[in-house]
Amino acid sequence: MNKVSAALRGLVLGSLLFGAAIVASAQSEAQQFPVATKTLKNGMKVLVQTDHSIPNVALYIFYRIGSRNEHPGTTGLSHFFEHMMFNGAKKYGPGDLDKAMEANGASNNAYTTENVTVYQDWFPRSALNLIFDIEADRIQYLSFDPKKIASEREVVASERRTSVDANNGGILDEQLKATAFIAHPYQWPVIGWMSDIEHWTIDDLKHHFEMGYAPNNATMVVVGDVTPEEIFQLCEKYIEPIPQHAPPPPVTTVEPQQMGERRLVVRKPAELPLLMIGYHVPQTNHPDFYALNILRTVLVQGESSRMYQRLVDKDQIALEVNISQQPGFDATLAVVAAQPKQGVDPQKCEAAIYDELDKVKTMPISDQELEKAKNIRLVEFYHQMRTINGRGNTIGTYEVFFGDYRKLFAAEKNYAAVTKEDVQRVAQKYFGANNRTVATLIPENAEPGGAKQ
Amino acid sequence: MKRPIKALRAVFIMVLAVPCACAASAQTLKLPPHEKIVLKNGMTVLLMEKRGVPMVSVAAIIKAGSAADPAGEDGLASVTAGLLRKGTAKRSAQQFAADLDFIGAEFNADSSADYTAISGEFLTKDVDKGLELFSDAMLHPAFAQAEVEKLLAQEIDGIKAAKDEAQSVALNYYYGYLFSKHPYGRPVGGDELSLARIKRDAIARFYETNYTPGNTILAMAGEFNAPQMRMKIEQSFGGWTAKGAALPASAAPTPVKGKKLLLVDKPDSTQTFFVFGNIGTAENDPDRVAIRVVNTIFGGRFTSELNEALRVESGLTYGAEAFFDSRKEPGAFAIYSYTKNESTTQAIDLALQVLAKLHKDGVTPEQLASAKAYMKGQFPPSIETSGQLARTIAAHEFYGLDDDEINQMEARIDAVTPAMAKQVIAKHFPEENLVFMLIGKASEIGPGVRKYATQQDSRKISEPGFWPGAK
Repeated sequence: MNKVSAALRGLVLGSLLFGAAIVASAQSEAQQFPVATKTLKNGMKVLVQTDHSIPNVALYIFYRIGSRNEHPGTTGLSHFFEHMMFNGAKKYGPGDLDKAMEANGASNNAYTTENVTVYQDWFPRSALNLIFDIEADRIQYLSFDPKKIASEREVVASERRTSVDANNGGILDEQLKATAFIAHPYQWPVIGWMSDIEHWTIDDLKHHFEMGYAPNNATMVVVGDVTPEEIFQLCEKYIEPIPQHAPPPPVTTVEPQQMGERRLVVRKPAELPLLMIGYHVPQTNHPDFYALNILRTVLVQGESSRMYQRLVDKDQIALEVNISQQPGFDATLAVVAAQPKQGVDPQKCEAAIYDELDKVKTMPISDQELEKAKNIRLVEFYHQMRTINGRGNTIGTYEVFFGDYRKLFAAEKNYAAVTKEDVQRVAQKYFGANNRTVATLIPENAEPGGAKQ
Repeated sequence: MKRPIKALRAVFIMVLAVPCACAASAQTLKLPPHEKIVLKNGMTVLLMEKRGVPMVSVAAIIKAGSAADPAGEDGLASVTAGLLRKGTAKRSAQQFAADLDFIGAEFNADSSADYTAISGEFLTKDVDKGLELFSDAMLHPAFAQAEVEKLLAQEIDGIKAAKDEAQSVALNYYYGYLFSKHPYGRPVGGDELSLARIKRDAIARFYETNYTPGNTILAMAGEFNAPQMRMKIEQSFGGWTAKGAALPASAAPTPVKGKKLLLVDKPDSTQTFFVFGNIGTAENDPDRVAIRVVNTIFGGRFTSELNEALRVESGLTYGAEAFFDSRKEPGAFAIYSYTKNESTTQAIDLALQVLAKLHKDGVTPEQLASAKAYMKGQFPPSIETSGQLARTIAAHEFYGLDDDEINQMEARIDAVTPAMAKQVIAKHFPEENLVFMLIGKASEIGPGVRKYATQQDSRKISEPGFWPGAK
């Protein structure tokens, strides 16, 4: 496992590891990882990739609904609903789903982001029929048992206490987004505010189900020891009869342009401070995606990256520095996060970060840095593609966020087209003072006796 | 997320199976062929060709981990490993990073209790450069004073940052309290006090003593030609002639008799994170497959008895689990969960009831069948990549296990009977003798948890260190 400072690990809460994008020879990689596709009569698109190297299958269903489809008062509903999808339907009652899957060698999980809710099944191919039976059952006939809702509410509250209360990165990230977005739904946390977790109703859940869980609002990806023909047949039997209905209404709110720096401070008992700086950047399928990723690589990926060299190695003011950017259907945030060392004023880290950003704005990066960034992306491509699980997630993510899984295999072309000037241009365009929100966590000793040393 | 993905433990290699004369059954899972070579200098080399993606994975084991740290210098093995890439005889730390990153390669070195693991990964087309970098760090680290000071300062702050997130330090406290003076009680990465005591000389000495060809297992898996790779490895490592000292003999830790409880006060905590158990089993325990089957039922999956009781049926927590952290000598057994402050004793009581029920009622034939199917169905993705395979064969070599760990795994799982499960519960799952460790808001939960043990200890999370037992 990577040795990463604990506070920063919490940053990527249940999200796609989207930092990793792709460089590959478009033709050869497409041939190496061929994908068969079919759109069912009810509108669900199915993507299948055969790989017989292990006798297992990874199945992903992406629903295009997430916290961006929520409203104040019911924040966190998508994520809570994700939990309810394991709590019983018509054929498989409460508890039956997990018991049936595990007794047949299968496991499952799910994640919710601002944009999507994603269900994951991992199983030996012998469990294929069972998995389709279960997925069809819960897409159509989810049950809403008040007792289960009450107990699952407590589970989610515990999840929030763990991922936010007991995690400084979780707390600061939440506050940063709530400040950086004033209009768009990306302003509230995916897990929801605690008071909303305590108060949403069974009707809210039913409405969410009707809104988001239409087959035409979903994409299925199956990778592993299967053939496209058998998957399409199973889909025809189990999934195709499910009627389509209206998908969620479009999210029309556009975050207005930020016109000046915003700052916020969190004071709480802590050993070390924490710093996060969020910059508004465009949605994932924007042409600047590739240049932004190259910029991010040059700045923070690897110990030879500019910000690591400056903050961690040379100035020794931070334990770690990172940039994360969640995928988004709408304009999102690139977040520069630094874990200052003890006793270091976070503003020192902030100044060093701005200094490094100024350098990439005023001088193009070197040819060597550009080539390095592209090499790092090639390796990341293979990292994602070497497991059936990684391929399931990556193919689905590209299909959903770029509108076409083939963008995965076209990425080399798109990265090759990125020039040093492009990298400089996106640094200038997005990483300016007026476009940033600065969040700082300041340790405050709650115990009597004053501050620690 | 439906369930926690951040496991309490670092990923460790699942090692399964029991020596038995099982009838051969239909098997689908086999380790890809691989060869073992012992170089003239005594270094053990394992090579496995594995097609799929054009990458090469290296996993080296140096047979000395935190258990070999001198008392009071906890973290020495870990810091030594961390410094390998921070400058060599011919490269500065910055140059090493630049060369490594330019080819998109990875290099990681870290210690566990039993050994130090050094891993690398690079594209097949970069194999010469990748191997050169890997061997440069492993064989010629400079341990420059400036880099030593830098890393130690970072590690000390890293411990403090970890204490801001109770989950990430829970096992440090539990292991310190459970193993007490045994080397397995030492925090692998050290603590704020021990790291401050470590000097460059001690690091150089640790390296010279332990990093020798005779102490090294080097496993490689991926897309390469094995005979060619063998020549490359002989070129890179054949001239390594370092001679160190013999490893100190290890001793088994003694299980704790009676009950004791450590309460770590984190005044701002809204939840209590609790761990309890006792000494568990060794990696090569003859009962290891049956133990895994039973623990899958008890605390090793979503529908486990523990998770059903504490999460699914009561909503007390986001997750509850049990595990055996098996090592060369018996490691820890632990039950782990967390719950809001108000329900602390309710959750611990319930976990204790589930443990008592396991001893009283055992497991049903249905549960056994389900757990077996689950283990067999979930195993293949754990040996899917070249990195996983290299780490697996290296660990097997270290623990003296053979390929039947994988190749006979399904048969060995199938051979577990209700009678074996019963024996395993009685022998390996603690019942009356229990060590408790809680991190939480002491002023709120302290009075309630007094009932669990007569011996009570407490400390503040802001106090340096985890448990002074080893000092």
